[in-house]
Amino acid sequence: MNTRVNSNDPEKIEIISRRAAIFGGGFGLLLAGIGARLFQLQVVDHQKYMRLAQENQFNTRILAPLRGEIVDRYGRTLASNRQNFRVLLIPDEAGDVEEALAKIRSYVAISDEKHAKILREVRRTQGYAPVEVVNNLEWDDFSKVNFELPHLPGAHPEVSETRDYPLGNATAFVIGYVGAVTDRDLQSPENDNQQLLLRQPGFKVGRDGLERTYEKELRGVAGTVDVKVNAHGRVIEEIEDSVKPSVQGATLGLTIDADLQLAAMKTLEGESASAVVIDIETGDILVLASTPAFDPNIFTKGIPTELWTELNESPYKPLLNKPLGGIYPPGSTFKMVTAIAAMRSGISPSFRVHCNGKFWYGNRFFHCWRKEGHGTVDMKGSIKHSCDTFFYTCATQIDVDIIADTARKLGLGESYELGVPGQHSGVVPDRAWKKRFYAGTPENQIWFPGETLSVAIGQGSVSATPLQLAVMAARIASGRAVRPRIVRFRGELELPTPTATRIDIAEEHLAIVRDGMNAVVNEPGGTAVRSAFDNKEWKLAGKTGTSQVYRITAEERARGLTKPEDLPWQRRDHALFVCFAPYEAPRYACAVVVEHGIGGARMAGPKAKEIMTAVMAKDPARLKPMSPGALAKTADAAVGG
Amino acid sequence: MASIILPGPRRGIQDQIGRLHWPLIIMLSMIAGAGVATLYSVGGGSWTPWAGTHALRFAISMGAMIFVGFIGIRYWMFLSYPIYVVALVALALVPFIGDVNMGARRWIDLGPMQFQPSELMKIGIVLALARYYHGLRAEQVSHILFLIPPLIMIAAPVGLVFLQPDLGTAIMIGATGVAIMVLAGLSWRLIFLGGLAAVGGAIAAFRFGVLHDYQLKRIFTFLDPDSDPLGAGYHLLQSKIGIGSGGLVGKGYMMGTQRELNFLPEMQTDFIFTIFSEEFGFVGAFGLLLVYLAVILTGINIALRARSHFARLAALGVTVTFALYVLINTGMVMGLAPVVGVPLPLVSYGGTVMLTIMIGFGIAMSAHMSRDPDGTTL
Repeated sequence: MNTRVNSNDPEKIEIISRRAAIFGGGFGLLLAGIGARLFQLQVVDHQKYMRLAQENQFNTRILAPLRGEIVDRYGRTLASNRQNFRVLLIPDEAGDVEEALAKIRSYVAISDEKHAKILREVRRTQGYAPVEVVNNLEWDDFSKVNFELPHLPGAHPEVSETRDYPLGNATAFVIGYVGAVTDRDLQSPENDNQQLLLRQPGFKVGRDGLERTYEKELRGVAGTVDVKVNAHGRVIEEIEDSVKPSVQGATLGLTIDADLQLAAMKTLEGESASAVVIDIETGDILVLASTPAFDPNIFTKGIPTELWTELNESPYKPLLNKPLGGIYPPGSTFKMVTAIAAMRSGISPSFRVHCNGKFWYGNRFFHCWRKEGHGTVDMKGSIKHSCDTFFYTCATQIDVDIIADTARKLGLGESYELGVPGQHSGVVPDRAWKKRFYAGTPENQIWFPGETLSVAIGQGSVSATPLQLAVMAARIASGRAVRPRIVRFRGELELPTPTATRIDIAEEHLAIVRDGMNAVVNEPGGTAVRSAFDNKEWKLAGKTGTSQVYRITAEERARGLTKPEDLPWQRRDHALFVCFAPYEAPRYACAVVVEHGIGGARMAGPKAKEIMTAVMAKDPARLKPMSPGALAKTADAAVGG
Repeated sequence: MASIILPGPRRGIQDQIGRLHWPLIIMLSMIAGAGVATLYSVGGGSWTPWAGTHALRFAISMGAMIFVGFIGIRYWMFLSYPIYVVALVALALVPFIGDVNMGARRWIDLGPMQFQPSELMKIGIVLALARYYHGLRAEQVSHILFLIPPLIMIAAPVGLVFLQPDLGTAIMIGATGVAIMVLAGLSWRLIFLGGLAAVGGAIAAFRFGVLHDYQLKRIFTFLDPDSDPLGAGYHLLQSKIGIGSGGLVGKGYMMGTQRELNFLPEMQTDFIFTIFSEEFGFVGAFGLLLVYLAVILTGINIALRARSHFARLAALGVTVTFALYVLINTGMVMGLAPVVGVPLPLVSYGGTVMLTIMIGFGIAMSAHMSRDPDGTTL
């Protein structure tokens, strides 16, 4: 039916020509629209998009400041920052992870074991999360990786800071440690405007000790740098003239003598013990040792739960800062206080008491530690032999408030501004104290005379820290209100040596007590003759103390349990020793407490002797300590990225 | 019928070269040159991985175009239905023997080369519809009976490509087919009704979940790109920043910061116009648009001077395809059209699309070279 269609039918040509013209015009209009849009974006709104492009490219990065160092009295490093060069790998950017690792391996060594571990880690994590490939790289290797970076897909070299405590556990309780930032830190008003810095990956803040107290000073000031970044946030380049350098935190200069601190830690090793050595002249704490101690280098990396549990549950209390936070009945080391209180109350130094081993008071016997008695003793002899009966007798004649006042004058019952947290003020009991202590139960507020007898020999409610005992020794030795300190300077700011005024105790009373302490160590029959210096050039004057932790019951005594060694460790008596040297011209005071050490003379005295021998041999007072001026050079070098 | 397969008088090769549409060749080369230059920049100032290959592919495609142009238009008319049928069968086979790539099954692996039936269909639909309308009288075009074959010819490949799924190509094929119907003289009444049906269909597609989530997301993103600057709208926003920050004269060749910093995905393909605009500014980008317009007008001009209705419709068809590419891509990178993954012809990296476009212009070239009455007219 179909006649052949004329392909060039004029009607068809006319229609298609018209329609083609419409299409041509339409495309022209649409392209004009595109052109108009182009004009709008590129000419009209150019500024807006230019600004957005800038924002795309530039990003301000925080430059975390270096944490201030902590040094001992001669500038020896106790806490510093170690750079940790590491390489991270972002699997998503790496593409083929095995190939990327192989490339990195051609520049730095990765063990097969570590290699397998990385691959496991990559499989386990999300592809965008970085996986650590190597850490603690040498600078040479690290710069090689940086140089080859364009050929290492997904590799991110990174410098992180690790806090380093070269003396390890020896300074754990003085310096403390740093730890990861918590939500609490972020919300703390102290950290206003510091959030950006605190959120830096790996940023650490002081968690304990001086690290915590001086956080503000040690932290330093964050800097900023504008960086050019790509869509993945990867830094393409740093804009050099935009750098506002960070400022390193202030250096803390301590009074501690690192050598003596280490020596003391070694002496106390194996015991649950503490030792404090004070420079009597300046109040500088040379030694503040506590055993057992934790390693702050481990704590800084995050405390493993098992370790934390172990430390927490240990009977040796390795988390307790014993010299400052451990409180012990001072036992016989308190007798100097009672002796001075007695003399202040009018009892003559030549007052004599006959000791037959026990003293009847009230309705019961108070026992002297020496069952067979001391015979007749005077004031000096009572200290030399540590005769309890003598002090019981005095206690019946003097008021407890005088004892307490004397104790406070000698530095007990007070906490000092050291900057190390966890200090305990101990207890110096008197009538007012008892009223406060039993505020809720008025019937218990009455002070009984029998209590004064217990206090007189350093038992009962009285308690003190090893630091306070060392201060007491220093004050007895010097007659001045020695105040301990542990921070010598903070940055450029040198803290003044506290001026120690005379204490309100007569010199002749102190002299009697010092004479007694000399006799304890250096006269035959003294309780601590074993602790006399081997070098006869110097004399150590001291006082032993054994404080009761557990009273052996009559029943146990009947069963034949008399020797303290038979008691479980936790029930054995504490061993204490306070001393100063040299006796003729006192310069160093020391207190040693060995928890459950059974006897001051046999356990604490010899350790104090060992420590004081080291102190006298070095005689740190002769040596010039580091001045903060010496910091200027190092500080300049530390400023920057 | 015999006259169709009889070769015309042989012409010398010199004569043939002289008859090529040289302005078209020069304009296409300018566009491809812009592509090579931009890809060199995208590659970070390197011939690898894109610029060198792009130049080589253009040379080959240009050869293909000239080869197709040398073949008389009547041979193409003869081959039009067979090409369409081959393309349709291949499309139907893709779900069974195709390779899955990026979640879509679009390719057939032919051993040494890969074959994308949807690209062949872009040529096939033009040829088949041109052939169809070549045989219709003017008054038959809008007749309801004669509407059915072209609608089936369009719907079949569009449906198959849509199922791959490849929304962008499906739209391209459908739009090209509809454009040829309109060009062929469809009555305005039917065009209007068709438009209504298209709108209704689009609404239905939304309502009944014919579209994939990512396709819907792209469309919503297109409607409100700033709502989700780090999500689906991120690329579009980055693209606008790239173009806008280029300003009047651009940041300079190889100086594009958006390019340098990798803010854009698919810089070498879908978003290459952004890079070009960033580096050459309004002056450069507008200039490129003018060249595209000139190519489109040249294609229309060739069609109007052709000697047969098939040649006219075929030349217009390939020109429309080309124009749609340009409009959708440039509209897309500037937020005027949804991000549907349509490349910028001859500039975007990608061999298959380039070959398709050049073969398309080869058909137009064939129409141009067969225009003179020399006894070979059909």
